[in-house]
Amino acid sequence: MPIYNLYMGCSVPANYPNYEAAMFKVAETFDMTLEYMEDVGCCGSPNLRAIDFFGWLLVNARTLAIAEKNGHDIVTPCNGCFGSLKDVLHHLQHDEEDLKRVNAELKKSGLSLKCTIKVRHFVEALYTDIGIEQIMSRITRPLDGVGIAIHYGCHVLRPADVTEFKPEILDELVRATGATVIDYPLWKQCCGATVLPVNEALAIRLARDKLKSMKEHGAEFVTVVCPACGNQLDLQQLGLKDSFGEEYNLPVLLYPQILALALGMDESEVGLELNRVPADPILDHLSG
Amino acid sequence: MVEVNDTLSGPVLIIGAGVAGMTAAIELADSDIKTILVEKKQTIGGNALELYKAFPTDDCFYCFEGSRFRPGIRKCFYRSAMLDNPNIDLRTNTRVDEITGNPGNFKVKLTTGPMYVDPKRCIMCGLCLKRSGAFSLISPQCQPQAVFYDPSLAEESVKEIEKECPTKAINLNAQSTEEQVEVSDIILATGYTEMRPVNMDEYGYGKYPNVITQLELARMLDPNGESAGALIRPSDGAPVKRVMMVQCVGSRDENYNLYCSKICCVFALKHANIIVNERNGIKTTVVYMDIRTYDRHERYYREARESGVRFVRGRVHLVRPNPDGSLDIIVYDSLLDRYLSYNIDLFVLSTALEPSEEDETLQRTLGLNTSSGFVAPLDLANDSVVAGDHVYVCGAAMGPAEVPESVTQARAVVSKILQGRQ
Amino acid sequence: MAETKESAEPPTILVDPIDMSKLDQSFCNEIKSMPYGEELVACFACTTCTAACPIANQWDYKPHQLIRMIILGMREEVLSSKEIWECLTCFQCQERCPQKVRVTDIFFDCKNLAAEEGKVPNSIVALGKLLLETGQLYEVTEDWQREDLDLEPEVPGLATEPLKEILKTTRTGRLVGSDE
Ligand SMILES: Cc1cc2nc3c(=O)[nH]c(=O)nc-3n(C[C@H](O)[C@H](O)[C@H](O)COP(=O)(O)OP(=O)(O)OC[C@H]3O[C@@H](n4cnc5c(N)ncnc54)[C@H](O)[C@@H]3O)c2cc1C
Ligand code: SF4
Ligand code: SF4
Ligand code: SF4
Ligand code: SF4
Repeated sequence: MPIYNLYMGCSVPANYPNYEAAMFKVAETFDMTLEYMEDVGCCGSPNLRAIDFFGWLLVNARTLAIAEKNGHDIVTPCNGCFGSLKDVLHHLQHDEEDLKRVNAELKKSGLSLKCTIKVRHFVEALYTDIGIEQIMSRITRPLDGVGIAIHYGCHVLRPADVTEFKPEILDELVRATGATVIDYPLWKQCCGATVLPVNEALAIRLARDKLKSMKEHGAEFVTVVCPACGNQLDLQQLGLKDSFGEEYNLPVLLYPQILALALGMDESEVGLELNRVPADPILDHLSG
Repeated sequence: MVEVNDTLSGPVLIIGAGVAGMTAAIELADSDIKTILVEKKQTIGGNALELYKAFPTDDCFYCFEGSRFRPGIRKCFYRSAMLDNPNIDLRTNTRVDEITGNPGNFKVKLTTGPMYVDPKRCIMCGLCLKRSGAFSLISPQCQPQAVFYDPSLAEESVKEIEKECPTKAINLNAQSTEEQVEVSDIILATGYTEMRPVNMDEYGYGKYPNVITQLELARMLDPNGESAGALIRPSDGAPVKRVMMVQCVGSRDENYNLYCSKICCVFALKHANIIVNERNGIKTTVVYMDIRTYDRHERYYREARESGVRFVRGRVHLVRPNPDGSLDIIVYDSLLDRYLSYNIDLFVLSTALEPSEEDETLQRTLGLNTSSGFVAPLDLANDSVVAGDHVYVCGAAMGPAEVPESVTQARAVVSKILQGRQ
Repeated sequence: MAETKESAEPPTILVDPIDMSKLDQSFCNEIKSMPYGEELVACFACTTCTAACPIANQWDYKPHQLIRMIILGMREEVLSSKEIWECLTCFQCQERCPQKVRVTDIFFDCKNLAAEEGKVPNSIVALGKLLLETGQLYEVTEDWQREDLDLEPEVPGLATEPLKEILKTTRTGRLVGSDE
């Protein structure tokens, strides 16, 4: 019964309570204990890294130090948080000078960082600590092979030496639910969320290209593991009708929602009605 | 006159005493085969004589691994071993005038220029050098070790010097001599000459003294050279602070030579690295269209970038001299699509490596195949060193080549000849 | 009239080159000394980064050109470019660079230098301000949604003060403060 330091960040609780809920349902099924981390908040996102590298280091080093104190690995459902924490950890593991500076600051609030803590995305923990076999043994309503396109998200995939994330993890997790993983050329491409604040048109175009590529290669649903990517791919579809005259009707589900449904959970338990592009067609693909 | 009737035991004529020719000579000699090694200059060593450090080992030239086992010779083994080997008949200051006869029994007329200074007697005391500009040292590393006399610079004093030479090595009345030799095989090891781009207006070579070639730079970098390794401006001897090199001058240019000279990228980077790493504070920029540091030499490129050598992909737009001796060079940077203006002290051209001057005559006489003026082997795929019946070729005579390659080819020639004699 | 005459004197040649002696030669070393900057000079201008970038065709300065400009010392142009802010931080360029130049990370360094000089797009300053004032980028507003899903209406453990406190003392504080 593994115990984890759950780092929520600010986006999931505010924008995707359904993601949070589905994650807890899944965790419960597999006896994973997710303990909300105390006294932490937003990771600052790449925007903070851009304007205030040291501030960003401190904020995240603090989170890491708090987790280190009670010793459990950090898990997070957000790619942005995952990227920030992994990146800060990696940097401080390789830059003694900055680690010293950071620790000097942390000391003021009685904290210290040794960089021994592990940071993992929730799906990584699911994959490595529970395992595909175990997951499959609990599936009661497998999907009927329907085509799902995975958007992994930039900050979980890259830079690979920092994130150490294997995309196959998600492939296998999706297949475990009975769905088919759709291969599409733009699988690595950014959803565009990060550029929203400075160039909205560009952000929309990127989301559109991504969705188009998915659709053209046979996807009926999309799955993501990040609130920012989810928001971008889901929400932008509503506007694409106006800007491009294109309609994609590609429901975007957070991976734990799909898994929870296949594990027999009810649609209301995973908050399906909160997804922007109506996601209930997924129900037609569940057996039983 | 050397008498030969037997194609299996006659001596081998080697034309050119650069790395390739010297390797062939010493290795044939080791197998008890007599050679006549003909070199048109007063010294052996060829182009590699003044190259200072060599890629790929960064050693001083001639000290490559594999040669070090030779007894008694730490440095420049080939050149010193060459002089006292009984199987090598070395003729410096000598040219091949005529080749007749048949393969296996060539008759070759050799003309040796006047030997004003007898290298066997000269002890390099320096007396003559101090007294008259007509006497000079081609290179401190020259072999045989002897001074060089240029009659066109003769002054009144030379007569006295002739008398005063402690070993009576000087003979101002020396005449050239001719001799016919008979040889069974001929090895062409005539190497390359570095192009002097006097007619390429855009670079100002020959017009502005601070525009030089890579070989000229190599000589300047050599600690044994005139400037003791210091980089100075030819115009006024002022220390150089900024260097610019430009690649592919006269190579890959169908107005001059259509081929890639292959090794100029590597030696340009070798030089750039020496400059930035060993001549503190000198800034170096390399202008290129491609950097071709083939196989393992890629490390020179990486090292150059890490050492602070700057690269501009593009070509030179304009060279403008300044009153203070420096040059303003405007370069088109094709990656930025912008023009950059640099102020520099020394402009080094990586010029084409071309066939040696008399190669054409030799090639014609022997009826050889050629490619871009270099000797082409009969069968490139199977016998890359056989140029004709009893005629072999090795080293840069076949096209631009690095030293290890030239040495390997020379060894291939030797094994071909040995096979033929078994 | 006299002024225009003076400035209008045409140069001897039409080509108007960048005077290399006027560029900031220390810029390259400055970036090299910043996080993940070490490999900067390994760049051999292959343009792989640009080929990998999903948005470079929208840019005046392509990723390889920005890297080149850093090496050449074109500090001003790089730090005031819109490109460094539009960079998606998707790391596709960095992933494929054959010389392991950390292109995306280096653009982060550039943004930090630009921020130090106050050259930050307003929309990003606004995010900094949001962080400084609320301690987070997103706030839970519709807590009934959470309750419907059996979640605590308030996120357990959430603390916004520490981040605010930290950013007050770092560059964000200065940046946002000076903005007002
Ligand atoms: C600037 C520069 C730097 C270099 N640096 C390196 C390096 O670091 N490492 C490396 O491996 N290589 C280097 N090289 C290449 C190196 O010079 C050649 O590989 C090597 O000199 C080839 O040897 P060779 O014997 O084939 O030809 P050469 O050295 O050219 O020797 C040919 C000899 O033949 C003589 N000769 C020519 N024609 C006749 C004739 N008709 N009769 C009599 N004699 C004749 C010439 O006088 C000469 O002595 C460099 C070249 C240059 C230009
Ligand atoms: S004086 Fe005679 S021995 Fe001395 S360097 Fe001149 S030639 Fe040689
Ligand atoms: S080796 Fe380099 S400089 Fe020489 S011709 Fe080839 S590409 Fe040009
Ligand atoms: S991919 Fe790397 S080496 Fe190539 S241009 Fe970009 S930064 Fe330079
Ligand atoms: S990280 Fe920025 S520069 Fe690199 S590929 Fe992505 S958008 Fe382009």
